[in-house]
Amino acid sequence: MARQSGTGTSATRRLGILVILMLAGLALCGLWFSAEDVVQGSTVRIMYIHVPSIWTAYIAFGLTAVCSAVYLSGKNRSLAWDRFAGAAGEIGVLFVAVSLVTGSMWGRLTWGTYWVWDARLTSTAFLFITYVGYLAVRQLGGTHRQRARRSSVLALLAILEIPLVHFSVTLWRSLHQEASVANPNAKVALDGLMLFSLFLGLVAFTLLFVWLVLHRQRAMMLEDAFSDRGLDLAITARRNEAGA
Amino acid sequence: MDLTPRTVTEPGTQPPARKRRWLPILVVVGALLGGGVIVTQFLTSAIDYYCNVDEVGVRSGCSGERRMRVQGVVEQNSVKHADGGTTFTLDFNRKTLKVAYSGDPGGVFQECIPIIAHGRVVNGVFESDRIEVKHSNQYVEKNSTRIDASNKEAAACSVLKG
Repeated sequence: MARQSGTGTSATRRLGILVILMLAGLALCGLWFSAEDVVQGSTVRIMYIHVPSIWTAYIAFGLTAVCSAVYLSGKNRSLAWDRFAGAAGEIGVLFVAVSLVTGSMWGRLTWGTYWVWDARLTSTAFLFITYVGYLAVRQLGGTHRQRARRSSVLALLAILEIPLVHFSVTLWRSLHQEASVANPNAKVALDGLMLFSLFLGLVAFTLLFVWLVLHRQRAMMLEDAFSDRGLDLAITARRNEAGA
Repeated sequence: MDLTPRTVTEPGTQPPARKRRWLPILVVVGALLGGGVIVTQFLTSAIDYYCNVDEVGVRSGCSGERRMRVQGVVEQNSVKHADGGTTFTLDFNRKTLKVAYSGDPGGVFQECIPIIAHGRVVNGVFESDRIEVKHSNQYVEKNSTRIDASNKEAAACSVLKG
């Protein structure tokens, strides 16, 4: 008999190995093979974590919003959508935190300061706080369906912040530089291996996100099942008492 | 089957009291307060006008001795360090402004790089107490066969001005 342990499957295990290999490749490219920047020197290497982190957070929060919308609009309102939304939200918060920390380090080394109340930094910090609030709202109690309904509405409101964060550098005069790849001019402003390292980081972090979200939503499913089982046991106990 | 509410009185048999989840409530309150602080700080910092060098003394909010943030490019061969301070000339749209900074600017401060200086104009000189170095969104590999150490600054200058 096949023994099922943990939240992994053979597919997620293969994906996990691929993620490890890609992250190792990113470390080699980012720290070893890619050259220093002519102005920033080695400091530029922070970009290979900083940019993929915020990119992954955008994807995570996008997935949270899509799953929330599907949950609210669906006829059967499957809680699986809510669990995917919650799992993506948790991982998105983690990646925004990584982006804020690495951005702060990069800022100290290039701008000369850890933090400024600049439009990009402020809107990113606000995004972080919003999704921390989203995660807290998920934990406020009630039934699974109450949790799903209130957090789905919040997720659909919170996603509106993403365009504000991304375009803040063009909407306001900002200390933060404009996008080097996804910019309105469609002009890529990175030299060869730097661009490759950044692209590798984007792919590796995206796959890492997929791996994490698959495991986390399965863990959430088990948590919900455990909680439901507790309720079933309580009802059974009451019935037994009544029948005694 | 009787499922009416029971009246259990024996000690130890009462159902546990329903626990209110205080931690999530505290986190929600903290998030609301944190959001308020973030917005307040952003708006407070926005009180200082953000002016380009060519707007100083011309644009509304960029004149007089009020505190402002001035953006420009550090002019080549203008940086001088003396008495623990740094003086240089900022350039933008062919207008220049002399800057006196009380310290040694950090980051990748150098000639030909865009910066933002915080301070106020006193007797025609911008007295700054804070400098933030901007870097462009262009990333150019430092190639030892193409650019040697002696012309590094010139290369950086051409990248930023180009």
